[in-house]
Amino acid sequence: MAALLLRNVGRHCLRAHLSPRLCIRNWSLPMAMSICHRGTGMALSAGVSLFGLSALLIPGNFESHLELVKSLCLGPSLIYTAKFALVFPLMYHTWNGIRHLVWDLGKGLKIPQLYQSGVAVLVLTVLTSAGLAAM
Amino acid sequence: MASLWRLGVLCGAQGGRALFVRIPVVRPAQVSAFLQDQPAPGWCRTQHIHLSPNHYSGSKAASLHWTGERVVSVLLLGLIPAAYLNPGSAMDYSLAAALTLHSHWGLGQVVTDYVQGDALQKAVKAGVLALSALTFAGLCYFNYHDVGICKAVAMLWKL
Repeated sequence: MAALLLRNVGRHCLRAHLSPRLCIRNWSLPMAMSICHRGTGMALSAGVSLFGLSALLIPGNFESHLELVKSLCLGPSLIYTAKFALVFPLMYHTWNGIRHLVWDLGKGLKIPQLYQSGVAVLVLTVLTSAGLAAM
Repeated sequence: MASLWRLGVLCGAQGGRALFVRIPVVRPAQVSAFLQDQPAPGWCRTQHIHLSPNHYSGSKAASLHWTGERVVSVLLLGLIPAAYLNPGSAMDYSLAAALTLHSHWGLGQVVTDYVQGDALQKAVKAGVLALSALTFAGLCYFNYHDVGICKAVAMLWKL
């Protein structure tokens, strides 16, 4: 039953000219983390570009914009959540980036090590994001 | 492209003569040249990607680019805690430069991986260059006329 379903999904993916890898039943942790590394990288890039462009295009200085946000009187839990949401992709990309650099040195490339370092990155990401958002 | 790199790595040490080079970004044309030139005796289930001197196509640009990317990554990694401990104008401009360069090259890799066709790839890369240039200009403007990156983060976090 499940095989039939997957066969149809796969056919749909190929017909839609999507990469068949998106329809693979067994996603692996390294694969998912690699995609997230790219995703967070692009998101962070977009954020930096938005910041830079708005400095050029939007009138008013940074302080006035901050005052605007302050005037919204957002609750502390909402502010914490927002900070967490900002710092989480940065931390993930940073820690996974270090993992990439270690690979570039030729270390930690065995399959079990891939999974171990992957889990370590995820744990570090959550801990450091929570810590930084609390500052 | 990353999968090609891993293929080579997984195939391990086969033949002392093979000069093993990891190239994360390899254009399709170069790959087929490599694979044609090297008949792998004793096929493992994956293929080698060899680079021996007499088949070397000549330009070191890709290799230098790769090294440059890693250098900027390490630099940026160091700048972040440094900016926290020692904020200031010099740090602001260094951050702006490293951030935009790292993101420019990163977006370049994404474009290389997903945009097919020579003309379209060139056009999109030009767009990325424009975006990076504007971003850098904006960040420098912010550093000069406004509070600067380090101070801005501090102010935002005090919210």
